[in-house]
Amino acid sequence: MIYGGGVDVGSTQTKAVVLNERRAIAGRSIISTGANVTKAAEKAFHLAAENAGIAPDRVGYVVGTGYGRYKVTFGDTQITEITCHARGAHFLFPDTRTVIDMGGQDTKAIKVGLSGDVLDFCMNDKCAAGTGRFMQAAADVMGLSLEEIGPYSLKSQNPSKLSSVCTVFVESDIMSYVAQKKKVEDILAGVHKAVATRTVSLARRVGIEDEITFTGGVSRNIGMVRALEAALGHKMNVHEDAHFAGAFGAALFALERAEKLCAVEVAKVDLTGWSDGEEANGTAG
Amino acid sequence: MIEKYKEWYEARHEYAVQWKKKTGGKVLGYFCTYVPEEILYAAGVLPVRILGSHEPQSVTEPHIFAMFCPFCRDCLAQGLLGRFHYLDGIMISQSCLHLRQAYTSWDLHIPTQFSYYLPMPHHVQSRHAVPFLRAELETFRKRVEDWTGTTIGDADLRRGIQIVDRNRELLRTAYETRKREDVPMSGLEAMYMVVSSQMVDKAEHTQVTEDVVRVLEGRSAGRSGTRRLMILGSENDDVAFVDMVESAGATIVQDDHCTGSRYFWDKVDANGGDPLTQIAERYVRRLPCPTKDWPARRRIERIVQFAKEWDVAGAIIIQQKFCDPHEIDIPAIRKALESAEVKVLFLELDVTVPVGQFKIRVEAFLEMFAGDDLF
Repeated sequence: MIYGGGVDVGSTQTKAVVLNERRAIAGRSIISTGANVTKAAEKAFHLAAENAGIAPDRVGYVVGTGYGRYKVTFGDTQITEITCHARGAHFLFPDTRTVIDMGGQDTKAIKVGLSGDVLDFCMNDKCAAGTGRFMQAAADVMGLSLEEIGPYSLKSQNPSKLSSVCTVFVESDIMSYVAQKKKVEDILAGVHKAVATRTVSLARRVGIEDEITFTGGVSRNIGMVRALEAALGHKMNVHEDAHFAGAFGAALFALERAEKLCAVEVAKVDLTGWSDGEEANGTAG
Repeated sequence: MIEKYKEWYEARHEYAVQWKKKTGGKVLGYFCTYVPEEILYAAGVLPVRILGSHEPQSVTEPHIFAMFCPFCRDCLAQGLLGRFHYLDGIMISQSCLHLRQAYTSWDLHIPTQFSYYLPMPHHVQSRHAVPFLRAELETFRKRVEDWTGTTIGDADLRRGIQIVDRNRELLRTAYETRKREDVPMSGLEAMYMVVSSQMVDKAEHTQVTEDVVRVLEGRSAGRSGTRRLMILGSENDDVAFVDMVESAGATIVQDDHCTGSRYFWDKVDANGGDPLTQIAERYVRRLPCPTKDWPARRRIERIVQFAKEWDVAGAIIIQQKFCDPHEIDIPAIRKALESAEVKVLFLELDVTVPVGQFKIRVEAFLEMFAGDDLF
């Protein structure tokens, strides 16, 4: 069996995926990135291999991606998360034409071609406005957990208007609403709406085409899914493993390279006189 | 010898101080490449371009609007920090409002013997532009004569033209060699070459460039197989940025910058007629800056021609934050390049390059070309 590994070192979490040659997830892991990025990458990869029930060295090729991609020192190559998310999203939903990836510190809009290739992309500029960090800051000031704010926001009938999507200033904006005794769900709905509006205008720069697939850690927030759909006026694809899309894309690239390398190895072997059975074994090796 | 350019670039101030000591001549700092250097060379004045240093600073805040471009602020900071202490004069040629404020603020806070605002016409496509500029150049010649105590005759002007034109010719020859599949110089080396020509005596720069052009014939920068790109934008002497792009697996082979091709591409070509008219014609007809490129957009035609002739796969548009004249052209440039099958990456630049954040964009951009190789 040939395996390919993808390690997506994000600003908040590190995700690793091991794919088998049937392109099924053999193993995966998700851990906090923390301060030691190389260690996090190694640990996530080993856990994914363990989860797959194989030794790490059975994985033929490993691709590092995410902001810490160059810290995946045991990997064979690095590919940016833009290319990997496009590939991963395309694999999860083959009709994907637009990817919205919302991570801890970046939001990206990616225009995807028929084969999952990147046609164009756009990223938030030099600040964390409208990213996972922003949601974290909003949750913190409300005294709620990141997991709670999405479902909570859906109760709102009358979302508050936020004046700023700055991760730092959102705090004072929320505080003043709290002081005005606005409902928690309305403030939270306002937070989600503000981020969604900003994200959709980013996506408009690359051009929004159906189908739209939402990836990255924030895709697990149901409040954000609904707010984005409202701002887009359109349904999005959201896979339960959408936060693994980058690692998944990286693993797909890795698997294809592992297969190519294997084919080269096989081609080097002199096959004259081999029976069909032996040849098949050789290919699988 | 090609390393000389980098040396000059890095020691621009030391060079100017030494030049003054050696020649006893005057040094003039200029803010825009529409300044007629020919007339200054004719008077024996050394024109040096005022550029920023790409460092965060805190001295310009009361003097320049917050929504003015980072480049004009960085330029003014150099003056306020005393880095151009050796200047005998400063001047600007009408280019944009932002840079003009840097000039006027400099003039106010760091007075020099000579300061001059040359009203270079904006509407260069008007038939009145050449006679208008010729008359302005006549006034400028007189002012320079008064300042330097010299007479600038037609023969001097022709000598000035010859000095500047020879340098332009050589820079263009060097750029032509970058059409080769195996490029003889990196984009970073080319950037050092052109920007240093705005900082040192042209005669000296020409001497080195004569040799460089000869060497380029048989040289390889060892960059075969990298992706060929061009960069577009306003002023750009961001060596850290170019270095980052080229280490990500690309080679910059052509540009549209006023620290690049726009500066030197067009010559005066004195042919015995009135030199001031010929100088005026050169500045009116040169590869335009977007502030002067209307109603027809002549620059875009040239950009597409460059892209084709230098066989580039992609173009990086780097936009100085808040530079409206450039920004307004971007949709049209993007459209023209994309219909010529040149992929475009747009980046907005501030004083310092956020290399980490730009790196991912540049790498993803380069991955877009890889196609099946990635799979």
